[in-house]
Parts: sequence; structure tokens; C-alpha cells
Amino acid sequence: MSKSRPQLPLTPAVFHILLALFGKERHGYDIMQQVRADSGDAVKMGPGTLYGSLDRMIEAGLVAKGNTQDPRRIYYRLTALGQTTLRAETERLSRAALLARRQLGSA
Amino acid sequence: MTRPARQKESRSLRLYARLLELYPPSFLQRHRAEMLQNFADLEDAAASKAKLWLLIGKDLAMSLMSHFFGSRLGHYVIAVLVTWILIFAIGYFFYGPTPGRPALHAFAGFLPGMLAMYFATRLYGTPQNSISHFFRSRFDIYVVGVFVAWILLFVIGYYIYGPTRGHPALQVFGGFLPGMLAMYIATHVYGMP
Repeated sequence: MSKSRPQLPLTPAVFHILLALFGKERHGYDIMQQVRADSGDAVKMGPGTLYGSLDRMIEAGLVAKGNTQDPRRIYYRLTALGQTTLRAETERLSRAALLARRQLGSA
Repeated sequence: MTRPARQKESRSLRLYARLLELYPPSFLQRHRAEMLQNFADLEDAAASKAKLWLLIGKDLAMSLMSHFFGSRLGHYVIAVLVTWILIFAIGYFFYGPTPGRPALHAFAGFLPGMLAMYFATRLYGTPQNSISHFFRSRFDIYVVGVFVAWILLFVIGYYIYGPTRGHPALQVFGGFLPGMLAMYIATHVYGMP
């Protein structure tokens, strides 16, 4: 994945992790809980899925590790590219939802 | 919600710590402590053990498959799987559901054999190549155990069914050992993910 341009569409897991990290650094368990709350229990991820996704997101430049001393509680934060990607994906989803509403309304 | 280090670990946490060994070592080096802490937090918050293990079981299956099939060893297994499907399809085309086609049945045992050897290598480490070390590692004991079980099952099967051609239970198990051998060679050639 390029480190300069958002790569869309995102998977639901990546989208929700980015959303959970918007405006706040969080550790793994906190991210899992926030994702679950934001998605209304639709996206439930365990530690393996979460850290696999975080590794790929760090590699893609979307997320970075914060400063932390405790290896059990590593905090993660959004990068500038992560914020741009989140906004772009939100726009894309909004357009898709608008189109779907229009078509469903006219049916 | 970080637990004090001296607090006694639960059996579930110890089991989860053991299951984590199935992940690639480089991944564990980065995340092992975090994953154990997350599990402890999930366990504290879980309404029941069943719900906890349902989530963890699904998570382990999905994330391990993702790690495995992204590796060179995973690509090798995909190639074996495709070959298996092709051979089975060709065999079915020629023979139909005819019972007693040993080549087809035996190949069915190949995949579980590969899986068993993969888990053994992941859990018990890279096997020793030197004959002087044989029987000294848990890996060797596991392989010998499977081999003895195979002979026992075959003898019991032969005793009950005699030389019945095409008894699936015997033939499927026949493919188990070649499957283990194939994975043993593959882990040496491609390395573990």
C-alpha cells in the first residue's frame, strides 16, 4: 500500500480501527471496545485480528505507535495519512449510502 | 485495567498463552504481552467462558489463517490443495463414486497429515536433524506417537475388516504419513511463517 495516497475501499475492521483512533490515542483493548461500540456489536475483533490489522496499518503508514513504557499497554495513534484516509473513506461511504437511499426511495 | 503481575494466572490465560505459540515468532515478539493483557481484560469483562472462547476461537482461526496463507509455506499448501482438488476431480471423472480407489482415499488423509505436522513444528519447535538427538525432543515423541497410533489403527482395521479393498478409514490414514512427511520437508525448504 502506498504511503502517500489513501487506498480505498477499506475493510470494515480497518475503517473502524481508524475511527476509534480519531482524536485519541488508545491501547489494544480500548480499541477493541471502541470498535465494538461504534459498530453496534457488528464488528467484534479479538487480539489476533486486531494486532494483525494494526501491523498492516503501521506498514501502510496509517497508524503509528505512541510513546509507552509498558509493553502490555502500547498506545496507537492516527497519522496524517490515516486521517486523510478515514475522511476519504467516510466520503465514499456517504456517497454510496446517498445513492442507495435514492434508488431505494424511487423503487 | 492492567492486572498486577503477581496475581495468579487463570487456566484460560495459560491455555491462551500456549495457543499463542501458533503465531509466527516475529509477530509474538511484537505483540505477545499486549495480547495476553487483552485476553485478561476480555476474561474479566466476559459474561461467560463460553462466549469468551467463542470469540477467541474465531479470532485465532481467522488470524492464523491470514498469517499462514500469506507466507511461502502457505503458498505451498495452497498449491497442494489445488493439486488435491484436481486429482480428486480427475479421479471422480474417470471412476465416479466407485468405492475402493486407494489413490483418491489416501489423498484425503494427506491434508490432515500436513496440518498435524505444521502444528507439531509450531508448538514443539524445529526438529533436530541429528539422529543422536532422536527421541529427546517433544517433537520426536509426537511423531513417534502418531506413527505408533497409525500402526495400531491399521492393525485393528486389518483385524476387523481383513484385506478389504478400499476401506476408507484405513486408506485415509494411509495418506496421513505422506502428508506429515510433505510438511516436514516443506518447513525445511520454505521455513516457518
